[in-house]
Amino acid sequence: MASGVSGYAAIGAKVRARYSDLLSPQDISRLSDSPDFPSLISSLKNTPYGPYLASLKDTELTPRRAIQQLRHRLADSYSSVVQMSPEQTRPLIKQLYRYFELGNLKAVLRSILTVSSWNPDVGAWDRVREVLFPFGSFSTLPAQAMVEAGNIPAAVELLKGTPYETTMSFAMKRFSAEQNLFPLEVALDLDYWRRLWAEAKKLSGLDREAATKIVGALLDMNNLMWAIRYKVYHKLSEEEIVNYTLPFGFRVRDEDIRAIAAGGDIAAIVARNFPSISDVNALLEHPQAGLPKLEVQLKRQVMKQCTAAFIGNPFHIGLPIAYLILSDLEIQDLIVMIEAKSSEVQDDDFRSVLLKTSLLN
Amino acid sequence: MFFPREMTEVELIIPSKDLVAVTKVLSGRGVFHQVDSAFLGLESLGPSTWQEKAANYSTFERRIQAIMQTLGIAEEQKGSTEFDTIVELDTVRPTLERIESEVKGASDKYGAEKKRLEALEAQLKQLEPIAHLNFEVGGLRKSDHLHSILGVMKADTKVIERLDSIRVPHVLFELKRDAKDAVVWLLGSKNNSDELERAAKSAFLNPLTLPEEFSGTPQQAVEKTRKAIEESKQKGFELESQLSKFGGAHKAELQKLWWDAHVSRLMADAIARFGQLRHTYVVVGWVPSADMKLLSERLKQASKEILIEAVSAERTGHHEHVPVALLNNKWLKPIQNLVITYGRPSYGELDPTILVALTFPVLYGAMFGDLGQGLVMMLVGYLSHKKIFMKGLSSLGLLLVYCGFFASIFGALYGSIFGFEGHLIEEYLHFHFEPLWLSPLENILTILGFAIDAGIVILLFSYLLSLFNMARARDWAHFWFGHTGIIAICFYICFLTILNGLLGTTPIAPKIAAAISRIPLPFNILTPIFAFGVMFNSLFRNIAEGHRPLIEGGIAMYFVTSFMDLFESVISMLSNTLSFVRVGAFAVAHGGLSLAFFSLAGEEPTIGFWLTLLIGNIFIIGFEGLIVYIQTMRLHYYEILGKFFHGGGMRFEPLRLNSSQEEA
Repeated sequence: MASGVSGYAAIGAKVRARYSDLLSPQDISRLSDSPDFPSLISSLKNTPYGPYLASLKDTELTPRRAIQQLRHRLADSYSSVVQMSPEQTRPLIKQLYRYFELGNLKAVLRSILTVSSWNPDVGAWDRVREVLFPFGSFSTLPAQAMVEAGNIPAAVELLKGTPYETTMSFAMKRFSAEQNLFPLEVALDLDYWRRLWAEAKKLSGLDREAATKIVGALLDMNNLMWAIRYKVYHKLSEEEIVNYTLPFGFRVRDEDIRAIAAGGDIAAIVARNFPSISDVNALLEHPQAGLPKLEVQLKRQVMKQCTAAFIGNPFHIGLPIAYLILSDLEIQDLIVMIEAKSSEVQDDDFRSVLLKTSLLN
Repeated sequence: MFFPREMTEVELIIPSKDLVAVTKVLSGRGVFHQVDSAFLGLESLGPSTWQEKAANYSTFERRIQAIMQTLGIAEEQKGSTEFDTIVELDTVRPTLERIESEVKGASDKYGAEKKRLEALEAQLKQLEPIAHLNFEVGGLRKSDHLHSILGVMKADTKVIERLDSIRVPHVLFELKRDAKDAVVWLLGSKNNSDELERAAKSAFLNPLTLPEEFSGTPQQAVEKTRKAIEESKQKGFELESQLSKFGGAHKAELQKLWWDAHVSRLMADAIARFGQLRHTYVVVGWVPSADMKLLSERLKQASKEILIEAVSAERTGHHEHVPVALLNNKWLKPIQNLVITYGRPSYGELDPTILVALTFPVLYGAMFGDLGQGLVMMLVGYLSHKKIFMKGLSSLGLLLVYCGFFASIFGALYGSIFGFEGHLIEEYLHFHFEPLWLSPLENILTILGFAIDAGIVILLFSYLLSLFNMARARDWAHFWFGHTGIIAICFYICFLTILNGLLGTTPIAPKIAAAISRIPLPFNILTPIFAFGVMFNSLFRNIAEGHRPLIEGGIAMYFVTSFMDLFESVISMLSNTLSFVRVGAFAVAHGGLSLAFFSLAGEEPTIGFWLTLLIGNIFIIGFEGLIVYIQTMRLHYYEILGKFFHGGGMRFEPLRLNSSQEEA
């Protein structure tokens, strides 16, 4: 306990300070009332995101650039938490942060496959870097070299020495045979979550308890959505679903995933694990629209789990992790609003997918 | 000295005709941090041709690098002034093509032989895992009822278990496993071949693709393949020596070609990020103010019509967009590295390097006080800095010198020399050496109390630095109500009086706390007032900053979290203060560890005695020296820097042609 107190005193104070800077559900609701994209950005400039948007001149004010600037705040939060967290917990936070590097890696791989259909006047790298998460010095990814390599095998060759090397070497055989990124992405996802779970399990005491609870909530959401999507949407076979999902989680058990793979009652499984989510059957009737809605509801469960971490004993890694995930979810809400406002989507069509405003009810 | 270098924002308008000359000045001096201003371009002009040029130079450079690599020629960077202008690709391309054509024959053969070797090695790799199986593997293909998949998958137990858990009847043998790969054999009924194939595929089981001509046992095939590999390697050596002859003939020519293409590519890259107007270019960036005058002169020499607008950056307010160039003092470099590991100062923030340069060696010396060992550490540090001894530690050499110096001073104060203290010095070294201050082993509680006092002084100083930073940033809400604001400092002072009350007249009671308690102020009234302030500082901050709502999550929840904030503050203050006890504790432990070696050595000054002490001293310098280093770093990162230093500054990355140019 004593080491927990001294180890978490500084980071706890910092995270609490930053937590108080997160936008409230009321703030999100007010922002979503902005009539258009410029006024949304102007409102955001009066929030803690202001300093990140201040450097954007009016001529630069595109949705993509604005989103990129918002992500800088999340990147700063991660850097700061990684630096301040106790030594034994850093591998977990770094692995959690790697989620965005994984996203960058997928974006790079997709860009390589689609670059031939792009406007040749704009350099491929210039196009790609606009959508990459500003990962900074933490990144092990030679993104530019990969894009410039021009083909997937050459790009994957550049991953030697990175945490992705082994996984990619196994998955590349399938890519060569199928010329499809699906196996690469699945292999990367599975490897990421296995490593994250292993890092959480390596901790001890309160840290382990808090980390498995929060990381487990994230993992449950992903694992469950994978199983349901593979079954309902992609119609994969039982053995494929079993191999493309994870056998562990916090609430969702391996038996649940296997039951979904074998054609069991998905609604009953979701309801048993998440009693507050109702009407799953209705959502599954129209998977194209229903599955994203189900994902939103699961994300709200994660958000509640993270918010709950701030109650009770504060001297554990749960607080920093919860804060980072909440920051990410908040930025997801802001991205939804930016994209909705810039494409003039009707209010009713996007408000229902905002995560934080659900806390108003 | 106490802040990052002052920066000036520069905006240049350059006539098109002087573009290359100006870019040469900007890139060559290593003082200009470019800001991407390509968005300023006129749309009607279309996409910048410089992007295309940069891409072409990049491709050309890669071609040269490829041929240099083939011929085993190293790239050689030259001085930033050793180039005239951007080279025209049309003029240099024929030279490269001539060399390429000369080298092509041998290079292609060498490439083909390498590929053949790789294929043979891959084949051997596939065969080796099953080399121990004594059966006709070709027979697997002929089975009428069994579907068999022999392959390699990731050596992850969970993944293998997952594959083994499929519901289709099957048998899974794990034939071999190393850290990375597992060779497995999946067998099932031919009727279930689809399910088995799907399961294997989705578990990323890569089947071994044994050549069709494969016959006999795996052992026979392995021997045949190994022989072919030897032949291929021999042929590869012959072709390599032929290529190295070509390398000798074209070395100078290729190195010059590479340098020209490299510099041209860097300059084209920079120009592609300039804003392009109809007849001019707009360049935006940052320059250290001290270098501005010289840069302006050089720019005006390069272009008579250039327009330069320079504005110095204020240190107040937000500075996320201002790059941070730290002071380039080679004597402080190792200390600066320690600070940067924690965080790069932001532009308006106090650079704690000087402070850490003082506190780090002093705290280290206080924990590792020994005159002899300190001098040895200084010597090792110096030799390592000069790359004469322990070259791997050269970046830490100066730090070792500083720490060793203060360890020597504290050694004199503690009366310790190579672990000999008090009567041991006279008995074995035959001279008199009294501590100039006190012996930690004989004054344990005094040294612990002194360490806490030193900690209080350092913490109060850190709090004051935090106030200074916040005042400069005009962050008045945090200045008053932040975690290191005025209210928190006042509470810390009150907290010290409580600590004094608790420790009373014990020897470790901090004297500073006692002195504060004697100040005629009503601390029993002030303590709850400031505690109240700390408890509700977020509310006061919201009021000061105009944030609404003032309270989030309901009153009850707010009170609970506010109380937790107060509790956390008290715990932090206590742990931060007592954390410095370790300085005294390590000084004591140092003496204790030396005594342990004396017990092992015995009493008679034989060869064994001196050998034991020699090993003991090496152990203490290496092992305890490292532990004390970690403890000193921990004190700085958690207790000192965390109070006033936030970091997060953007790195100053000037344009430069030569990567060996010193970073500012």
